[in-house]
Amino acid sequence: MKDINLKINGKSYRLSTNEDMRLIDVLRDELGLLGSKEGCGEGECGACTILMEGRTVNACMVMAFQTDEKEIITIEGLSNGEQLHPIQQAFIEIGAVQCGFCTPGMILSAKAILDKDTNPTREMIRQGISGNLCRCTGYAKIVDAIELAGKLLRNGGNNCEA
Amino acid sequence: MSLKNVYVAKTLDEVLNLLNQYGCESKLIAGGTDVIIQLREKEISPKVLVDISNLSEINFIDESEDKITIGACTTFTTIAESSILKDKLKGLVQSAESVGSPQIRNAATIGGNICNASMAADIVPPLLALDAEVLIESKAGKRRILLDHFLMGKGKVDIKPEEIVTAITFNKPKNREALGFGKLGLRKALAIARISTAIYLSLDEENTCRKIRIANGAVGFRGMREKEVENIFIGKQLTEDVINMGIEKLREELNQRLAGRSSAEFKTTAIAGIFKKALLETANNCKE
Ligand SMILES: Cc1cc2nc3c(=O)[nH]c(=O)nc-3n(C[C@H](O)[C@H](O)[C@H](O)COP(=O)(O)OP(=O)(O)OC[C@H]3O[C@@H](n4cnc5c(N)ncnc54)[C@H](O)[C@@H]3O)c2cc1C
Ligand code: FES
Ligand code: FES
Repeated sequence: MKDINLKINGKSYRLSTNEDMRLIDVLRDELGLLGSKEGCGEGECGACTILMEGRTVNACMVMAFQTDEKEIITIEGLSNGEQLHPIQQAFIEIGAVQCGFCTPGMILSAKAILDKDTNPTREMIRQGISGNLCRCTGYAKIVDAIELAGKLLRNGGNNCEA
Repeated sequence: MSLKNVYVAKTLDEVLNLLNQYGCESKLIAGGTDVIIQLREKEISPKVLVDISNLSEINFIDESEDKITIGACTTFTTIAESSILKDKLKGLVQSAESVGSPQIRNAATIGGNICNASMAADIVPPLLALDAEVLIESKAGKRRILLDHFLMGKGKVDIKPEEIVTAITFNKPKNREALGFGKLGLRKALAIARISTAIYLSLDEENTCRKIRIANGAVGFRGMREKEVENIFIGKQLTEDVINMGIEKLREELNQRLAGRSSAEFKTTAIAGIFKKALLETANNCKE
């Protein structure tokens, strides 16, 4: 067993993990954070996308022990209590969610895009979500939602009427 | 589970000691984007994993008067965003940008790409075209070796279990020299081999080719220099005729190498197309 300190969504966890566990196993099986999905398990689909030190990575492509002391954000860390994050609000508003399997990862990739630039071009958005596969929506609405989210962030809130 | 011990190394010394202690029972893990798949498919079963992704000592891009050196643990995202590389070495930036997805580029390292030695490793053709050297360390000392000699075959590189690649180094482009890159077959999910080409070119004022180094990916058991093709260009002006002769030679070479494979014709035609485009771009970049 290997003891690690995880910092997830601002909370610290001290855990004993199996040496061969990946971050996705710890999130889902040990901590019950089921927002991050496991699709392909081999880095192709992005359903397991999380933010580590501010950058997107696939939680199926990192060993748990490698994340010791790293700052991690999962989809559970985005809303502020009942108050949805502007990106979440925009996805609902635009109807960018169908089955929802890709959505948590997609939203974290959207966050990485918008953290850099709240007014990205559609091409920048497409590039930024190129590691997140969606079998349902055909992506157009997802790109729309990320554009709207950028606008909400620029206006400093998640009021879609404004 | 064969995995008994895992270490997060914070210093190069620590890594060298661990590798010395555990030798072939150990495996380095950097970005993990190849290693984790191999572990899960039981292609490898090390007793010890040594994480080097936190080693800031070998995560850097350094520019001196005539050399550029890239630390082995530098990610493709860092390479893609590098201001040192963006002009004359655009080919390196483009190859880094073409890897996988943002998530993969945020984790995957240049050292891992080289050491994993897939025939389609994207950073290999540009580094071959730069005639890059690989810097290697172990507790016993340091050595350097040309990348062209370091790569032995599919999945095989010239490294001992106690050794780690610390950096890759190459000469800085001089006036009227540049590196270009072209790639086809972007999505791994589509199961097309990712064909790529890289060209290092040096032109004089008359548009004559002083030096050229060409390397292709995914058309052999490893990334390879195309010396026969280079010979067509050296000392000649880059006219339409000469370019076409070069492409003809490239086709001949690839047809020989790929003879008998079902993908031969597709790959040969595809390489010819991306080669021409990359060559023209590189020639323009030399003049800027
Ligand atoms: C979804 C997906 C898409 C991909 N797309 C591409 C692509 O488009 N192009 C491409 O070229 N590759 C691609 N890859 C493959 C992979 O991402 C690259 O080969 C990557 O550069 C490997 O780097 P890493 O740091 O993740 O290596 P790791 O997986 O950590 O290590 C790979 C190998 O190198 C060894 N190693 C690592 N660092 C060192 C070192 N400093 N010294 C000695 N040995 C070392 C390890 O022990 C291991 O054997 C893809 C992979 C996935 C999962
Ligand atoms: S489950 Fe991690 S990328 Fe598909
Ligand atoms: S909404 Fe179903 S996969 Fe994207």
